[in-house]
Amino acid sequence: MYPMYRLIINNLRLSQRNNKGIHSSSILNTFWEKDDKGGYKTKTQVPMKERLRLGLQELKQEIALWTQELKEDFENDPVLVYRPGETDIVWKFGTEESLKQWVVTCDSDHGEGFSTCGLTLSNNGQGLLSGELSTRVPKDGRVKRAGYCNIRTLRARKSFKREAYLNWVAYNMLVLKVRGDGRSYMLNINTRGYYDVLWNDMYHYVLYTRGGPYWQVTKIPFSKFFMSSKGRVQDRQYPIPLNKVTNFGISVGDKINGPFSLEIDYIGLEYDPNHTEEFAYEQYKAPKYIVST
Amino acid sequence: MQPTTPLFLQKFSSNAPESKELQRLTSFENVENKNRDTYLDMIRIFINRNHVYRRGHVEFIYSALKNMESFGVQKDLEVYKALIDVLPKGKFIPTNVFQAEFMHYPKQQQCVIDLLEQMEDNGVMPDYEMEDLLSNIFGNRGFPLRKYWRMMYWMPKFKNSSPWPVPSPLPDNIYELAKYAIQRISSVDVQSQITVYQTKEIESSIDDTWIVSAQAPSQKDLLKNHDLKEPVYVEGSFRIWVKDQLVNYFVLKRQPKQHIKTIKDDLDDVSNIRTPIFSFQKPIEKQVQVMQSVHEQEDGVILAVCATGTSTKDSLLSWIRHLEKDGNPVLSDALVVFTLRTGTREVATVNNVEQKQIESK
Repeated sequence: MYPMYRLIINNLRLSQRNNKGIHSSSILNTFWEKDDKGGYKTKTQVPMKERLRLGLQELKQEIALWTQELKEDFENDPVLVYRPGETDIVWKFGTEESLKQWVVTCDSDHGEGFSTCGLTLSNNGQGLLSGELSTRVPKDGRVKRAGYCNIRTLRARKSFKREAYLNWVAYNMLVLKVRGDGRSYMLNINTRGYYDVLWNDMYHYVLYTRGGPYWQVTKIPFSKFFMSSKGRVQDRQYPIPLNKVTNFGISVGDKINGPFSLEIDYIGLEYDPNHTEEFAYEQYKAPKYIVST
Repeated sequence: MQPTTPLFLQKFSSNAPESKELQRLTSFENVENKNRDTYLDMIRIFINRNHVYRRGHVEFIYSALKNMESFGVQKDLEVYKALIDVLPKGKFIPTNVFQAEFMHYPKQQQCVIDLLEQMEDNGVMPDYEMEDLLSNIFGNRGFPLRKYWRMMYWMPKFKNSSPWPVPSPLPDNIYELAKYAIQRISSVDVQSQITVYQTKEIESSIDDTWIVSAQAPSQKDLLKNHDLKEPVYVEGSFRIWVKDQLVNYFVLKRQPKQHIKTIKDDLDDVSNIRTPIFSFQKPIEKQVQVMQSVHEQEDGVILAVCATGTSTKDSLLSWIRHLEKDGNPVLSDALVVFTLRTGTREVATVNNVEQKQIESK
C-alpha cells in the first residue's frame, strides 16, 4: 500500500543476503507477518501430558540421530567430487515411509475451493499425485480465485527437531523422473529465511509434462528458478541460495478444470558442467522508486 | 502527452447513434445477444451517455470485468483496451511528489490494476498501445503502469517455454487435437512416424472414423522379435491433456522383459579391492546386453500408440489390422488382448479372444 516502506524491506533483504550482522536500516514494524501459517488455523490442540508422552517416545530416535551426526562430524568425509551424469536422489517414492515426508494440501482444506487431491502409491510402486482441480470460487465474498493442489516436503531438520537447511551448493540441476498427463505443474523451492519478510521466499519453475505412457526425466537448472513471495513474482531477482533450501514442493494450479495425475519416481540433483548459466533473469540496477514498490 | 483516440474506437465512431433519445444503460446481465460487438456497444453507450463526467466509471469497469466470461471476450486484448479507454486522459496524472507517492486517485488505480490482473489470469499479453493508454491516464509513476511493466517483463519469458507448443487458440476439431496429442506422446522418440488411417479401409469394420497412430522403427523391430506365445495388450483409454482439452489414447503393449540385473558396484567401497598381482584371481564374467530403447519400460514394452475418433473396440481392431498391413505382419498371428477401461469395464472374455484368433486366421 505505501511504497516507501518497501524500499526499507529491500534494504533489509539485501543486508540479510550479504550476511551482515549490522542493521543498515531501521527496524520495520509495519510489514510484520503475524504468523507463519498465514492466519490459517492448522495447529491441533494436544494436551501437555500427551505431548510429554509423544516427546519421550521420540527421544530414542533423536538420540540415535544425534550420535550419527556426531560421528559424521568426526569422520569429516565430505563428498568432494560430483560426477557429471550422476543423479543423487533426494526424495524417492516407493514405500509408505516415503509418502510421510510430504504434506498434501488443497484449497478445499479451509473451505476455499472444491478441488480434491491425494498422494498415494501407484500400481507400479511409484508416488501418484492425483485428484481433480476445480476453479469454482466458493461464494463467501472473501475468496477471489480458487483451484490449487499442493504437496510439499517437511522442513529439513537435524536431531532434536532443530530446523536445518538442505545444502545443494554442489549441484546445478534438479532432476525429476515423472509421468504426467500433459498438464503443467509448478515446482516450488522454499528458502524460508529467519525474518518474517523472508518467510515466504520461494523459487518457482514450471514442470511441463509430456503425458502418455512414457516416463520423462526432466532436468531443470537452478539458474532458471525465479523468486516470488506469497505467489507474487518479485521485481528484484536473485539466484537461488542453494545452501538455504528448506522445502521442496509441487503444485497444480493451471486453472484447468478437470482431473490431474502425476506419477513421480524420484526427485534428485545433478551437477552438469556444461551448464554455465548463473542466472536467467536480469539483475541490473532498475529505477529507484519504481521497482519493488 | 496528447491523448489520442485509438484506432479501434475510430472504426466505431462512424456507427455511433446520432439520436437524441435517452439511452438507458441496461446492466450487462440483461443483454440478450452476448457477444463481442454487444460488449463493445455497451462500453460505447456508457461513454456517450455522459462524455465529460462519466460518473460511476469505476463501478462500470468492475461490472464489465465480472461479465466478460459470459460474453466470451475474456481473452480479447482489444476489449481490455476499450475498457481502459473509458478513463479520462490527463486528469489522473500526479503533479507533485506526494501525489505520486500516495497513489493518486487510488480507486481508479486499483480498478485498472484489477483489470490487468484479470488479463494476466486469462493469459492475455498486453501491447505497447496499452502502455501509451496507461501512461496517458495515470502518468509514468502510476501503479497500473508498473504492473503493466511487470507483465511485459515476465509474460514473454514464459510464453514459449513449453517443449510441446500448441497453437493458440486451440482448434475445436477433435481430429486436430488427437494429432497434437499423439505428436506429443511420440516426441519421446525422434524416429516416430505418425500415420492417419481410416477404418473404412478395413473390410470387416463397423465404425467409420479416423485413427491417428504413432510407431517408431525401434518399436517395429521389437514387434518383429516378439515371442508369439505371449499376448499383446491393447490398453486404454488413457487421458492426455492438450492445453485445456482432454484426448483419449490407447497403447499397444507387451509385458516387460526381465533384463539381466547389472551388478551395482559401490565404487567407494575399498574393503575388497581386487589385486591380481599378489594372487591369481579368475576374471569376472561379464555379460553384454543390448541397450534398451526408450520404449522398453519397467511396466511394459510399448509397441504403438493411437487415438481414434470413436474410442470403441471396433476402431481399435481396425487399428491393429492397419498396423499389421503397415509393416508388422507379426500381429496377424499374435494374440491380442483388449483391456479397455471405459465407464463399464470391458474386459476381454475368452470368447472375444477366440474370435480375434478366428478373425486373424
